[in-house]
Parts: sequence; C-alpha cells; structure tokens
Amino acid sequence: MQGRPAGPLCCGRCAGAQAAARVGRRQRFRAAVFAKPGGNLSVPHTTVGADRGAGGAAPFRTVTGTLLDISPHILVVATDAGERRLALTPRSTAWRGRPVAATELRPEEPVVIRLAPGRRDVADKIWASIGRVAGTISASDDSQLLVDEGTTRKRQAVVIAPAAANRLRVRFPQLEPGNLIDVIGLRRGAALEALIPATSQPAYLASRVTRGSTVARTAAGTFSGSATWHEPGEPGEEPRGAAYPAVDPAAGCAEAMLTVPCPAELPYLAVGSMLSVRNECTGTVQVLPVTGCGATARLFHDRCLTCGTSPRGRVADLTLLSFVELGGDPERACFNARVTVWP
Amino acid sequence: MTIRHAIEQMQVPLLALVLLGACAAKLSRVLRARSVLVVLDATSLFPPRLRRPATMAVCFTELSLGAGILATSGRAWHGWAMGVRLGTALFFLIALCAMAELREFRPDLGCGCFGDLSGRPPGVRSVLRAGLLGAAALASTGGGELTLPPAGPAAALDLGILVAEFLLVAALSPEVGEMLARLGYAEPCELRAAPPHRALVALHRSRAWRRHGRLVSRDSPADMWRELCWWYLVYPGRDGGGECDIVFAVEVRPRRPAVRSAVLPRADQPPQEDLPQAGLEEDLPEDGTPGEGGFARPRTAAAEDVSPAF
Repeated sequence: MQGRPAGPLCCGRCAGAQAAARVGRRQRFRAAVFAKPGGNLSVPHTTVGADRGAGGAAPFRTVTGTLLDISPHILVVATDAGERRLALTPRSTAWRGRPVAATELRPEEPVVIRLAPGRRDVADKIWASIGRVAGTISASDDSQLLVDEGTTRKRQAVVIAPAAANRLRVRFPQLEPGNLIDVIGLRRGAALEALIPATSQPAYLASRVTRGSTVARTAAGTFSGSATWHEPGEPGEEPRGAAYPAVDPAAGCAEAMLTVPCPAELPYLAVGSMLSVRNECTGTVQVLPVTGCGATARLFHDRCLTCGTSPRGRVADLTLLSFVELGGDPERACFNARVTVWP
Repeated sequence: MTIRHAIEQMQVPLLALVLLGACAAKLSRVLRARSVLVVLDATSLFPPRLRRPATMAVCFTELSLGAGILATSGRAWHGWAMGVRLGTALFFLIALCAMAELREFRPDLGCGCFGDLSGRPPGVRSVLRAGLLGAAALASTGGGELTLPPAGPAAALDLGILVAEFLLVAALSPEVGEMLARLGYAEPCELRAAPPHRALVALHRSRAWRRHGRLVSRDSPADMWRELCWWYLVYPGRDGGGECDIVFAVEVRPRRPAVRSAVLPRADQPPQEDLPQAGLEEDLPEDGTPGEGGFARPRTAAAEDVSPAF
C-alpha cells in the first residue's frame, strides 16, 4: 500500500503494555479529531479496574493462576500478584472435564475462578485445566490431530479421549485434514484432551469458507451474535480483550488468514477499537479492546444456542478471562452477546 | 365453474412457481460459490457422505416436479398429472418432517429452502408453509386439466384465489422479509470495503491537508487505521510549540469525503480538557453535509460511567 506505515501490525503478538499504549493513543487521537471546538473531549477514562458498561450488570470478578492447595473449605491459588486464599461454600462448583467436587482438583493445575457476586474471597465456580482448540485440521492420525489456529499461533495437538470419541464423532464426523474443528477439553501439557464439541462441524472445508449472509445488518454500531472464547496464545498476551472477525483487511493483520473473507454483516474496525460486550444471558456488560483479528471466528458461521439462538455467527472471540467475567461458562462454548462499538 | 374447482386449479401455478423458485435460488447460490457445499443446510441431518447427493437429489426433485406440474397441466401429458401432483404432496410432507427434525436436532441451521434467503433457523411459519403446500398439492389432484377461464367474473375469481394464496404463502415465508430487506438495502459505509490509498488521495486533495501539511515532517503516516466510517491518519510534525501529532480523519465515501483534522502536542500530554483547542479543523464536503459516518463520533452521554478493561 502506498505510504502505509511500517511497524507492528497485529495483534496478540503486540499485546501487553505496547498494545495498551496504542489503544490509549488511538482513543486520544480519535477523540481530539471529533471534539467540538471549545468543548470537552468525550474520550472514555482508561483506568484499570472498574469496567462496567452503561445499562448492564457489573462483570464478575475473577482470579486466575495455579492451584497450590485445596481443602473442602479453602483453596489457595498462586497468581501474578501473589498467593490468594479463597473460601469455598456448599454452592461453589468445579469443572475438570466434567462437573466435579472441588476437592477432586489437583495442586499445580492452572485454574480460572469466578468469584461470588459481591464477595472478594469466595469462589463461585472453578475451571481447572480448561482449554479449547478451534481451527483447521492440518494432520490427523487415528485419535490424534494437529490443528492450525492461524498464522501467529503454534499448531495445536488434540487427542480425542476414548470416552468422548462417540460424542465428538457425532458433531465432527470428518476429521481429515482440511476440515474444521472446535473442541473443548483438558490441557495436558502442550496437547488438549478433547472432551466436548464446541459446535457442529460446518459442511464446508476451511478452504471454501464464504463471506456468509449479507442480510443481517448492524444498527447504529450495535450487533448481536455469538461470543466465543479462546485461550491466550502466549504468556505475555493481554488477558482481557476480544478478537474481532472484521478487522479491516487493509490493516495487514498478521493473524488474519487472507483466504478467509471478513463476515459480510459486521462493521470494519481496527485493533484498539473498543467494544461494549453484553452477555444477553446474564445482562453483564464489559467494555473491551479489540486485540486481534478473530481469524478462527471467521471460519465458523455457526449460531450460539445458549439461552436462545443467536441471530448471526461469531461476532467476538473473547479471551478466556473476559468470557468468564462476562458470566459465560467456558464449557458451554459461547453465549448470546450484543456488541456496541464504543464510543 | 365452482369456487372449489377454481381453488383446485389454481394450486397448479402456485406449486410450480414455488418449486422452480426454490430450485433456482439453490442453483444461484451454488453457482455464485462454485460449490455444492454451501447449500448443505437441511441435508446436514444426513451422514456426511450422503449430504452432497441428498442436496442434488432435492434440487433435481424440485426441478422435475415443478416442470412436471406445468407439463402435465395441459392436455398433452395429462395422464401423468395425478402421479406428479401426488409426488409433490409427498415431497412437501417429507419437507414438513425434515423441518420439524431440523428444529429439534439442529436449531442453529437454516433450512436453505430458498438458498441463502433461508439462512435463519426455521420457525413455526416455515413448518406451516410446508404443510400448506402439501395440502395444496393434495387439493390440486382434483383440479383436472388447467384451462384458461373466460374473461369476466370467472377470470377475476381465478386471479383473486391465486393472489390470496400467494399472499398466504408469503405471510408464512420468512424469506419474503429478507428479500424485501435486500431490495431496499444499500451497504452502509461501515460495511463497505475501501482501499486505504483512497483515503490518502482524498487527504492530499483536502483543505485540511493544505492547512496543516506544512507541519508534517514525514511523507507517510506514523499510524493509520480504520474504524467504522472513518480512516484515521496520524503524522508526526513540528509546530511553533515543538513536536506534535497531526491527526486526520477521512470519511469512507467514494466522492467528496469529509476530512477532519486536529493538532496535538506530542510530549507531556496536557489534561484532556485542553486537547480540543489544539488546532481542531473540519473540512466538510462542499455541499455542507456532515457525511454518512456521523455515528462514529464519540457519544458523550454514554461515555461517562464507563471505563475499558485495560
């Protein structure tokens, strides 16, 4: 492109402080250029922490880290900020491939914990070792697969658990290279033990993804659809944010697969745009930055069936932490979301 | 001619049009995508190896029945009319069952009955439509040979019945709403693909560039991105007070896009309230319209109690 700036283009690779600074800078520029002469800027405050969108419930608090110890009443988690001790109540639940008693969790497991509403030290739900792989099957051998999740991510190894093989085969009958897959399971080192199908396999191959229907439209920058989640690709990746499948193709986003077109009905945005995401099932709202190109979200034109059928396919691929903070249950793969471009 | 006989006769053109229309809609989608895989909606209920042949069989059946109904409506092949019409009734009965199955087992899929117009999951209306068309096919078995009515009240009766039945089918078809929406649809600017060099060309021709271009210290923008209906371009520069950033917003519009600009001091950002005074300019089209990208502007009322997650 003529006169196009060089430099970091995208997306998860540029996460962390650099991405946050770029988001803030772009917000400031945008606000300045649209401010009324003599008026105040309407740029939203970029403080860390409180992040409730207008007209919705506050997001849930979460704790993420490595489980150090667990007893029937207390669990201890090592987080980036130090050790956290959380109380367990009879209503606390845990997931480890299936719903389990909290005491079945094992030390050294990575956990994501959603805290009870209004309580800072009480665990409401715990997910241990949960992982997800979505993308194109690049190699398959019996019950082992290699899945390509995009140009900036490593290929993911998936092992189909024998106990879940029938269930997965019903929803993903074609496991040959070139077909699409989206599964949830337990992280076992670098591999994922697939246990739950996150959707049904599309009839088309990854190389034949179309732009989708152009009928569903946006209204004043607001659109509804399916919000899914993904695991952070690298340790330094921003823990909160959303990969958006219609990042402007001219941005040269490194994560985007050029052969897969942007969804027809979503407005073009940039990395750093802000989205107000509302979970239609819980009413929770959070304002999140676009941190990536949603390369895998472009591949699937599926609808979410959590609390009703979503009017269109995937509109945001949230990080695991944002998904949980918005009240989503990762083992259910998605929730119905209403997304507003902010501001 | 009795009203009953007129009703029985008018099912023939209705059924033929629906069947041929459904086949044409599917074929046009296949031709556009150059793959049968895009119309495997309802046939996703079948095992994978049967999906493609099942889709082709559905298309072929629709074409055969639609053409068959028309061909046997006259005197030439009228002996086959009963068989074709009963076959049509059976086809719509199977469609009714498939629709119910689809709602039960794959509620995320559209039926694909009329190509990509049927992208939404089928509702009760779609099931009722299949039932109505099946009943219409059964009713047509007693209609006999299709003849042109004499001009006058008989023709008006036939026409009235046909129009009423079309309206009834249309009322039961979610695809009609989608089709009308498409007919009146103009792609809004936020969905329009636009090459970024067009923004640069428009910027270099604008009054805002002539005004601030002398401050710019680099040929290419330091940052450039698109959000909704606007391209944003940031150039490093120098003004009397030191280093600054010159920000331009160029509207995504094929002709005479609006261009806005602002100059911001670079280092030690001032308090946000002071920023807008820093050389804010607007370069609207000569017709004075603010441009279709209006809603991309900050919404002050909603922004007050919100902070992003960063």
